[in-house]
Amino acid sequence: MSIEIKNLCHYYGKGSAFEKKALDEINLTIEKGDFVGLIGHTGSGKSTLVQHLNALIKPQSGNIIIDGEDINADKSRLKAIRTKVGLVFQYPEHQLFDMTVYKDVAFGPKNAGLSNEEVDERVKSSLEMVGIAPELHEKSPFELSGGQKRRVAIAGVLAMRPEILVLDEPAAGLDPRGRDEILGQVKRMHETLGITVILVSHSMEDIARLVNRILVINGGKIVLTGTPAEIFSKFDELEAIGLSSTQTAYIMRDLQSKGFTLPPNIFTVDEAVTAISKGICR
Amino acid sequence: MEIVVKTDEIVFEYAVQSDTEDKTDETPPNVALDGVSISISKGEFVAVLGHNGSGKSTLAKHINGLLLPKEGTVWVKGISTTEEEKTWEIRQSVGMVFQNPDNQIIATIVEEDVAFGPENLGIPPAEIRQRVDEALEAVGMTAFAGNPPHHLSGGQKQRVAIAGILAMRPDIIVMDESTAMLDPIGRREVMAVARRLNAEGITIILITHYMDEAAQADRIIVMNDGKVVMEGIPNEIFTKIDELKEIGLDVPQAAEIAHKLRLGGVDLPRGIVTGDQLVEALVNVNRN
Repeated sequence: MSIEIKNLCHYYGKGSAFEKKALDEINLTIEKGDFVGLIGHTGSGKSTLVQHLNALIKPQSGNIIIDGEDINADKSRLKAIRTKVGLVFQYPEHQLFDMTVYKDVAFGPKNAGLSNEEVDERVKSSLEMVGIAPELHEKSPFELSGGQKRRVAIAGVLAMRPEILVLDEPAAGLDPRGRDEILGQVKRMHETLGITVILVSHSMEDIARLVNRILVINGGKIVLTGTPAEIFSKFDELEAIGLSSTQTAYIMRDLQSKGFTLPPNIFTVDEAVTAISKGICR
Repeated sequence: MEIVVKTDEIVFEYAVQSDTEDKTDETPPNVALDGVSISISKGEFVAVLGHNGSGKSTLAKHINGLLLPKEGTVWVKGISTTEEEKTWEIRQSVGMVFQNPDNQIIATIVEEDVAFGPENLGIPPAEIRQRVDEALEAVGMTAFAGNPPHHLSGGQKQRVAIAGILAMRPDIIVMDESTAMLDPIGRREVMAVARRLNAEGITIILITHYMDEAAQADRIIVMNDGKVVMEGIPNEIFTKIDELKEIGLDVPQAAEIAHKLRLGGVDLPRGIVTGDQLVEALVNVNRN
């Protein structure tokens, strides 16, 4: 399940006096099974880009090709495309609506015309995947905590069995525990189901410990791509576009400038502890 | 130092809706605050930490009388929040900035939004003009005075929301996760404004999930299950790594690295919170 984006452009208010270029000649390829982080400051075009991936926004010019198929070529294929690409919006819990957790998650599969047994199986396995216990299935989703609500909303997307999962800031506004739960589950889904994951986040620390590839977007253009090691060592380039490296990366850089001999490319706490332990004289 | 906010053993419960017909099947009330006593001095910068549901927002809403305690008392500048005829006086002294920038701006032009509060106080137009100009200046938004707010970034909108509060000339500003929905630039902008206002004498109560923000406060109050479980300066609080993790909170990465190095036998002083402190301590270790 590879994604190919070719020469994608998008303007807000196209043709009006307020015309603004939101996406500017985006070209990129995401391979099947990748865990990709998309970073950029507010207004850089992240959300506009991800909404193109399941044809919520159609390209004004350029193409989105998923598994060799141009997703905007044939209108009758839209439903299939949207099943394949699951999009979890910012604050997805605002979209919960049904009387019970179970019914809310069942809404998508039911509308897809699946049998009751299949719907039941999918609802239960999706809720299990996001760590919502069976005793919560008959509760109103509105009685749950913020983190639980969000996981139910994500289960609703998983129940459609997407092959590509796009999450737009899934941890925004959650406390550290809620954040770790959601991101931990996303990581497990990526590992066990082998789905391709695209994660939009403002947290460099979260990105550093999860993804294998990073896309950096600024002013509607992809300005940097690479592994976390490649991207998070570019302190100046990241700062110039309003981003930063991880807290740990700054500590490692400052230690090196004070004469410590440390290995390169350290961005997470545990790596840093190991490296510093070896790097100090005792 | 003058105490501007004081709570004495306050208790607050949210009503739990039960859809069971059988009224004998009593659902226990949801206790959000369970005997909270805090006091905050004039000019302090206090951060309140706690996971979702720990009671920190409920506490914040008690400080300007949006919620009234079921038991105990809240005093703002010596006035109890239950004194109904003083409610407006209290709300004028305690301004609140909430999480979502889009829910707090009502007017179609930035300066009109900032003028809304003082207009409602019945302040003469010339003075409103002056207050609005000063408030926008204080948050660095003067250049946007005539702009429609929906074209602003999240951080800019929060700064306009803060200006709207400043125009009421408050003594205390409570920021209830006001940076939670912002990107890193927006967070830095809002924190810079909060620090500047604090330096000018306004008491700041900052509710946040971001430990790097809490590290900038004079004092941290940690809440869990409706109770205050820790209180102290950032350097003390952030050495309690295991306790903080136990109640679902983070510590700054520098504090965590220092903690783990110490466990591994590296001789580091306690109380390391920032990257600079860690680097300096490690340089000392290497020198000895």
